[in-house]
Amino acid sequence: MNKLSKNKTITLIMRLSFLQLILVGVFVVVANARVTGAQDLLDKKITLNLENVTLQKALATIEQQTKIRFAYSSSIIPVGEKVNVRAVNRPLDSVLNDLFADLNIEYQPVRGQIMLKRIRKKAATGGEQSLLPDETPFESVVMESVVKGKITDERNNALPGVNVLVKGTQRGVTSGIEGDYELSLNDGENTLIFSFVGYLSQEVNVNNRSTVNIVLEPDLKSLEEVVVIGYGTVKKSDLTGSVAQVKSKEINAFPNANVLQSLSGRAPGVHIRQSSGAPGASMSVRVRGGNSILGSNEPLYVIDGFPVNGGPTHLNNSDIESVEVLKDASATAIYGSRGANGVVLITTKRGKTGKTVVDFETSFSSQKLIRKLDLMNAKEYAMFYNEQAINDNIAPFFSQADIDGFGEGFDWQDFVFQRAPMLTTSLNVSGGNEKTQFSVSGSFFGQDGIVRGSNYNRYALQSNVLHTVSDKFRINLSTTLSRLMTERKDSGGGSRGNSMINAAISAPPTLTPYNEDGSYRVLSTAYPFIATDIRNPINFINEQSNQIRANVVLANLALMYNFTPDLMLKVSGGIENRDDRNDNYTTTRFFNSQGAASVSAGQFTSLLNENTLNYNKTFAEKHSVSAVAGFTYQDFLNTSLSGSGTGFLSNIFETYNLGASMTPGVPGSGYSKSLLLSYLGRVNYVYNDKYLLTVSIRRDGSSRYSEGHKWGNFPSAAVAWRISNENFMSGNTFISDLKLRSSWGLSGSQAIDPYSTLNQLIAGRTIFNDDYANTFAPGTRLPGILKWETTAQFDLGIDFGVLSNRLLLTADFYNKNTRDLLSTVMLPSSLGYTNTIQNVGKIQNRGVELGLDAKILTGAFTWDMNANISFNKSKVLSLYNGEDILRDNVGVIIINDATSILREGRPVGQFWGYRELGYDEKGDIIFDDTNGDGSISQADKTYIGDPNPDFIYGLNSTMTFKNFEFNLFFQGSQGNDIFNASAITNTMDFGFGLNMPKSVFNDHWTPDHRDASYPRISLRTPTRVSDRYIEDGSYLRLKNIMLAYNLPVQNLGIKALRSLQVYASGQNLLTFTKYSWWDPETNFRLDHNSYPVSKSVTFGLRVGF
Amino acid sequence: MENRNTYKKLVSTILYWPSLVIAVIFMSSCEDMLKEEPKSVAAELFYNTREEVEAAVNAIYSPLRDGTMANYIATLECQSDWMYGRGSWDPLSQYQGLNDANITRVSGFWNAFYLAVRNANLVIQNAPNGNAISTEDVNRLVAEAKFLRALTYFHLVRNWGAVPLRTEENMTEKDLPKSSAEQVYGLIVSDLLNAESNLPDVPNAIGRPSKWAAKTLLADVYLQLERYQEAADKADEVIQSGKYKLVSVQNKEDIQYKLFGPEILTTTEEIFYFKFSRLANQGNYILWISNHPSTNLFNFGGAYAVHGDLTNPNYMNWDDNDLRKDLWDNIDFGLGKNTLVSSKYVDPNAISQNGAGNDLPVYRYAEVLLIYAEASARAGNAVSDKALEVLNQVRRRGYGLNPEAASELDFDAGMSVAAFIDLVVRERGYEFLYEGKRWHELKRIKRASELILEGKGKTLAEKHLLWPIPVSEMNYNQALNPASDQNPGY
Repeated sequence: MNKLSKNKTITLIMRLSFLQLILVGVFVVVANARVTGAQDLLDKKITLNLENVTLQKALATIEQQTKIRFAYSSSIIPVGEKVNVRAVNRPLDSVLNDLFADLNIEYQPVRGQIMLKRIRKKAATGGEQSLLPDETPFESVVMESVVKGKITDERNNALPGVNVLVKGTQRGVTSGIEGDYELSLNDGENTLIFSFVGYLSQEVNVNNRSTVNIVLEPDLKSLEEVVVIGYGTVKKSDLTGSVAQVKSKEINAFPNANVLQSLSGRAPGVHIRQSSGAPGASMSVRVRGGNSILGSNEPLYVIDGFPVNGGPTHLNNSDIESVEVLKDASATAIYGSRGANGVVLITTKRGKTGKTVVDFETSFSSQKLIRKLDLMNAKEYAMFYNEQAINDNIAPFFSQADIDGFGEGFDWQDFVFQRAPMLTTSLNVSGGNEKTQFSVSGSFFGQDGIVRGSNYNRYALQSNVLHTVSDKFRINLSTTLSRLMTERKDSGGGSRGNSMINAAISAPPTLTPYNEDGSYRVLSTAYPFIATDIRNPINFINEQSNQIRANVVLANLALMYNFTPDLMLKVSGGIENRDDRNDNYTTTRFFNSQGAASVSAGQFTSLLNENTLNYNKTFAEKHSVSAVAGFTYQDFLNTSLSGSGTGFLSNIFETYNLGASMTPGVPGSGYSKSLLLSYLGRVNYVYNDKYLLTVSIRRDGSSRYSEGHKWGNFPSAAVAWRISNENFMSGNTFISDLKLRSSWGLSGSQAIDPYSTLNQLIAGRTIFNDDYANTFAPGTRLPGILKWETTAQFDLGIDFGVLSNRLLLTADFYNKNTRDLLSTVMLPSSLGYTNTIQNVGKIQNRGVELGLDAKILTGAFTWDMNANISFNKSKVLSLYNGEDILRDNVGVIIINDATSILREGRPVGQFWGYRELGYDEKGDIIFDDTNGDGSISQADKTYIGDPNPDFIYGLNSTMTFKNFEFNLFFQGSQGNDIFNASAITNTMDFGFGLNMPKSVFNDHWTPDHRDASYPRISLRTPTRVSDRYIEDGSYLRLKNIMLAYNLPVQNLGIKALRSLQVYASGQNLLTFTKYSWWDPETNFRLDHNSYPVSKSVTFGLRVGF
Repeated sequence: MENRNTYKKLVSTILYWPSLVIAVIFMSSCEDMLKEEPKSVAAELFYNTREEVEAAVNAIYSPLRDGTMANYIATLECQSDWMYGRGSWDPLSQYQGLNDANITRVSGFWNAFYLAVRNANLVIQNAPNGNAISTEDVNRLVAEAKFLRALTYFHLVRNWGAVPLRTEENMTEKDLPKSSAEQVYGLIVSDLLNAESNLPDVPNAIGRPSKWAAKTLLADVYLQLERYQEAADKADEVIQSGKYKLVSVQNKEDIQYKLFGPEILTTTEEIFYFKFSRLANQGNYILWISNHPSTNLFNFGGAYAVHGDLTNPNYMNWDDNDLRKDLWDNIDFGLGKNTLVSSKYVDPNAISQNGAGNDLPVYRYAEVLLIYAEASARAGNAVSDKALEVLNQVRRRGYGLNPEAASELDFDAGMSVAAFIDLVVRERGYEFLYEGKRWHELKRIKRASELILEGKGKTLAEKHLLWPIPVSEMNYNQALNPASDQNPGY
């Protein structure tokens, strides 16, 4: 809670009259019998050490720790009294007994709150002492009208004890046990003010109504939210760094294979997209732009404190409590050499003391292709290729009779893409007593892909157990066991129909998948002019399988020992283990196949040991210090084994009898190990809740770097100023929160693989005597002396809340400079080594992020909105020798060339190619001879586009009315270009019988139609990496729309249920974009026949017992 | 109370002491723990035994064979006066210089050639320092490395002209200027003289060079250098050795299966071949490049990217009785009814697209004979009987006759040297089609423009004679000046 404003702001502290307290007292007596869990509140364990602080401060501290609110009138409770309280993991009631012992205060738990009242002294004279010295006397006036009503919370539970005040007077009442109130109004009095601790106050105009029912909204900011940061937690108000938090409700908003998918558009400064639409496809996450040329640019993922290898693919979304994305250096530097790309902290669900609760969720979705490409039909296809034949002086391929006989033809997209189901189910049981809290869950996620035969299935078991051994010693175990199985049909990329995705577009509509005898049609010889590479997609669908099965274990045991209430030692040991096996089989029925099988199995193991000392103490009430220091060990071991064979007599073996192959392949195995040793330390200091300082350092030693360069230091510092807690702001009721933050720090990136700095020989094979002979030689990358990539980041942020934080704005500006960039330095290829890696180059990312949370409407109809927008500009500051780096080579036969460039002073990854100037007399493209040398060569390539968005944004809107909830979630990207490599083959590679979009048929160059989108249709029409393939990739997408209904189970008297929600939702139902191919979201930067994304409709159920 | 204290003590012991112990161990052994220990061989510890050096020599073959040689031959043939490229190979047959796709293609060859050169240099540099290898083995293996280095430079210099000359002396110098073609040939000749004297008479495995392979390559180099007498002498040494013999054939199938067949281990005609086998990733890819699925001569179809043409005068004027002419099948795959598809290499039982068993000849005995024929005629400015006889031997075999026995096809003695050389050149055309020889020969005899105009009706642009030095060299070798060191026209 905002402590300063609590002193001053009437909305946060209810002033109760003694009479009202008596009423409450009556209620409490009545309620206590039937309100379950009241005792649980008092059993809650707390640990604190406060000396000579005011009672108010002590209560606030307990509120923060326990999340239990105190309701009291500061006029009767002596809040200014100095108290001492010391407790180590003691039950709340015993602490309160001590605390109130000398203060004549009684307390009672009421509906999750604790009511405080003064103990009525038995008067020596006998009888009860009558009313109070500071009671507000009700005026005795003529009542004009009576208004009554019922006050409930957002879940439709009655709220007793709410203060109802007639505006402009001192008159008011307190609501009764059922939340009901009744009040008389005088002439001219029209406005009531409803206020209750922990809820937002409301002013309501009566307007001559006799009944005014009110729903009070909880004041979410009133109690401190805790944010997980590296190696600890911090109160949101005490944050000095830039951290984005996404809670379980948003994570679970719609079914997703990967938690990262559900973060897309939720967190400012974080750009998330799926690499393709395939089920279980990998995710790309960029926090504040990419820092590294060579490295992955993916953030570090930390699950319940365990830095894992790769992403959190094994977790089920419903098991996740919250995700925090650490963005600035003050937050990430504690992760040292792995923090430069940001850190994603994932916290799984924990049990809470109290009644055991059971949550069951299930959903069913139906997915389909987001949109089809509008391709030529059979007739158009035949006419199109006849035109090509004429242009190339070949006899037309189809006779007029053929053409007249063709109609629409066969739709290959409908053949390859299907409607596909997705099912999610999870069951979570959690609870505990004062000693042990637990949460266990089991879940299933099953998704069929929209390409026939593809799927992704995950079974996950998750558990968290916290046990208190003694008041000093606790132990916590977190485990996840997952089984992942996926069948992939994502043969993408390619050209001229040699991949399934490309074949689905390229296959002639004049042909069908099957011959009349039922055998597969061979497309590559169906016409003399057709591409040799083109494959009937049925081959990939029916006759090729690529299965990945993985077992993932993540387990972490932590022992926590409190030497004193302030000082805790935490020792943890964890294991991450991933065994996966990849089976590939191509049957003998596949085109030109004798049967080919390959199996590869990998085992990854990471052992982690972390030892930290945590210290928390508040000195003299104003100086609050928390510190952590420790050292950690983590190793990473990869081993692999593979085998293969071709030529099978029968398909029955699949991949399970490689020995049956006629030609066994060379078996393979591999090993790599790396190690990370670290020291870390951090101090948070808060002075008087106004001035905050965080200093941290991590020293990392990694085995991957060269001798003498293995160790790196990563310091950071941050300051923040809570202006809203300053005295001069005390009169300001408009601004409820105002904090300025600034930080600077260093973090690193491990962009290289183990052994990259060693001069190792690679084994291979060649042939003598018709048999194998061994070869040993160095690779083509010359090893060099390497050290860390280091990113220095400056951040300036502001948190700004008004009207009791009904409107909350968070804004950050950052500037990141990455130096010692690990970069591939090209060598003259005559060296035999084509490249080496060096620490050269600098990249800058700077940008602004804005996040806005708004409670637009409160009351019976609520409307919450949060929006975020992020702007990032990247710039290459320096490169080795100032040399350009050409990247992103596209090889599709007619074009084999780099498409992007890294050049000093330019944004990262700008597109680099030729500019088109229209068509010549023949209908061929004229390319811009930018250097004017009379010929078109690589020297004429120039900037043709920028893949970096101007900004990305997300908008989430939730409205509730009665038991209904309506949610809209939009996400988008603006100003980014996409290089559409898919279009090279299918709009420009004429003469190979490939099907193309109707637009090519309708709008190509002919002598009568010179102002065309496409050139002359000829085998020899040249094309290059040109601006033709650059498209605007901006889009706005309705990611999710949901309507949910919460059954009023209490009102319906269904005792067995705690809650029941049914919902219907739709994903990706609307996309606004000019992009011509399947999808601008997954095909960020480069689109090359990737598995298309789907849209879906979902029905779901959430039940709580 | 007693219990509680014991318990507390226990807990402190459990937590406290191990932590301290861990901390001490941790701090003292950090650097050791961070040392990398891969399960692979460090270059510094290699090249000591015969087996190690031999494995290093074997690594010179990989970049030349794997993926390179088949594409390289097809690329050269597109520029011959006989064969045509389709699709992305088409610009090679237009003779107007290379376009982007083909510049990329030939830079792949450059990289592979120089990788082979590096691997050869590593052997030449390191083998003499081996601590467990005999001098004899060092000499033999260094000679093999030098043979392969010479062969590689011979290809580099003919396609690119002057190139950086990487030897064991300067192999680590990043920026190295070009050496003149003469200097490159200087190294080639000296490497081959070394190889000639140190390579064995009979190598320990089929696919490795013998001293006779070195002499053959040297003969070809001398022919290129117009040192005709030396060329004739070296070729004659090979002929005189009696170790080689033309393979006798009766029909087209004999050529396909007995001479170039997928299942033969070696032949009497083999001098130096790149060996391929129906083993995983060790097969030949050249069949895929040229075959058409309808021939059924290759069980994985084919891309028919290079082809011939019925109307090419070379083909039209070819005697129908020559069996070698039958190695062309007339197939219409969309380029018209005159298209020819080569069936020189066939393998109906390959294991994959790049899994045919056929070897790729680099030098076979027929070439030694024709080198001798041309070189001796040019050296002596007269057509000797022996020269005429060896030409006739190759011709007889082409017609399915006994190469050794005189026949009515035999060319008569008494023709002019020029006429004789024309016949040798024509015979080479028939004999080595699709073996990657023709384009270099056209350039060597300086008749490229003429014969290409004659055969294909195309005008050869001057820039087409040399391939551009790839960007991967030009941009990163600071000793090269893009303005003056790039080949003309690029």
